[in-house]
Amino acid sequence: MEEWTRVMGDAGLAIAQTRFALRGFLRHSSAFVFTVVFPVILLLLFNAIFKGTTKFNGLNAAEATYYTASIVSYEIMLVSFGSLLVRVTTAREQGLLKRFRGTPMPSWVYLFSEIGRTVVVVCSTVALLVAVGTLFYHVQLSGHLLIGLVVYLVLGVTCFSALALALASFCATADSASAIGPLSATILAFLSGVFIPTSIMPTWLIDLGKVFPLEHMARGLQMAFLVPGSTGLTGVNLGVLVAWGVLGLVVAVPTFRWESRVGL
Amino acid sequence: MTAVVEVEQLRKSYGAVERLHGISFEVHAGEILGFLGVNGAGKTTTIEILEGYRSRDGGRVSVLGTDPAKATREWRNRIGLVLQECELDPVYTVNETVTMFARYFRRPTDIPATIGAVGLTEKADDRVGRLSGGQKRRLDVALGLVGDPEVLFLDEPTTGLDPVARREMWSMIEGLRLAGKTIFLTTHYMDEAQHLADRIIILRAGEIAAQGTAEKLSEALGYHTEVTFETRRGVEVRELHGALGVDVRVDGPLVSFRTQQVQADLKALLDWAQARGVELTNLQAVRPTLDDVFVQLAGDGGVDTSHG
Repeated sequence: MEEWTRVMGDAGLAIAQTRFALRGFLRHSSAFVFTVVFPVILLLLFNAIFKGTTKFNGLNAAEATYYTASIVSYEIMLVSFGSLLVRVTTAREQGLLKRFRGTPMPSWVYLFSEIGRTVVVVCSTVALLVAVGTLFYHVQLSGHLLIGLVVYLVLGVTCFSALALALASFCATADSASAIGPLSATILAFLSGVFIPTSIMPTWLIDLGKVFPLEHMARGLQMAFLVPGSTGLTGVNLGVLVAWGVLGLVVAVPTFRWESRVGL
Repeated sequence: MTAVVEVEQLRKSYGAVERLHGISFEVHAGEILGFLGVNGAGKTTTIEILEGYRSRDGGRVSVLGTDPAKATREWRNRIGLVLQECELDPVYTVNETVTMFARYFRRPTDIPATIGAVGLTEKADDRVGRLSGGQKRRLDVALGLVGDPEVLFLDEPTTGLDPVARREMWSMIEGLRLAGKTIFLTTHYMDEAQHLADRIIILRAGEIAAQGTAEKLSEALGYHTEVTFETRRGVEVRELHGALGVDVRVDGPLVSFRTQQVQADLKALLDWAQARGVELTNLQAVRPTLDDVFVQLAGDGGVDTSHG
């Protein structure tokens, strides 16, 4: 009984910590602009620049729908990977993680709150992007699309969060993390046919992009958005995301540091 | 007296360099122990071992009957930490920050009372980013207190604060003493230790150079009152030495000597000056602070500043 009370208490604490993190997120205007407003602007911009149709799996596809799918995948990586990496390394550098470690709060509560915050930010922004896509860019909502979207959201957030936590162990400072996080998201976006359709990219660049998880998430989402009756869920896409996620966890779990190396 | 903290032959090395060479001490229930040393003496290494952050290489350590190396959640509910370098998210208010931390503990204190205890009641709804350095540091202390700990570890609470903020921190810590808290306080200011601590331990290059109450420390060091004065005419040192029976130092117009019998020696000095027609200006008899003791004890020993 006491055990049960404690577990329920911890669950409540984890939710309170997540809400606390979200309240902070809404007050950090730069974080809000970067992860919510910026992707919407990107969606509007790409659609303004590339007006017309593109080839997708041999089909003519509306550019507009294509970019809605692409920016959704970009948003998932930007927040789960880029923002999480910056937040964790900053909190570590500020001594906040060390301070948490010195309280009775279980370590998982902190990690839960960070990932919970990521999930809420990603889901709300994705909902916003899909709404904009449906209103202006010919996105057809369907059961297949929603299934694909939810699976890629869950898998994508998990995979990229695990990779962020893994990379956090190798970023000496928050400063280096703030360069590595958004930069790698942007470079991968170009490699993965997120910003520029793969139909106009050289083959070697496409092949290089296929090594990384963003390409597979973007490809799968583009299928779900563009191909009627398709969830976009393919064995290869899911397999690559799971493999990178597992790699992230295998690295993150034994190497995660609660204290900055400086001064040790 | 019950020992809240017991340390025996504590050793710690970083690589091949031993930083703590087997130190032993106790902290008793309800006392404030001042743990004093220059940067690099091993203060932070010691406090972080007691807090359960660092492993040790030898010796026995017990805090509230538990080995901090095997810290449990229950044990963490009973200790409070105020770390040395620690920032807080500037977007939350004081009240929000303290309230969130209170949730981590099983038996938190009353939140408004805790904010009041650190003198931040008027700032409770201000964001952390708008607090001054001293106020931020007092918020750190509130976060250390909010779990109602049996022992509070304060790591250099006034480093970097201006004199006014230091005084505010001191009166706040004195309030904690009245509340009966056991406090382990590290500092590199002797006046701070002297002002706040019931007992002082001076750490030098990983060894305890001296320990005891402020009075005991100065007694043990044969501490003397220093008498200084200036004369326009040069003083015949040998003559004065004869009259007083103590060593006299002359530095330009400034003359000084140390004594343990202030009244007798001052009278002898005045009699001598009267008889010789010497005019003494700026005559002072000063019992110096323990700062000199500290500088003398902690200053040498080849310490470097690469470790806190």
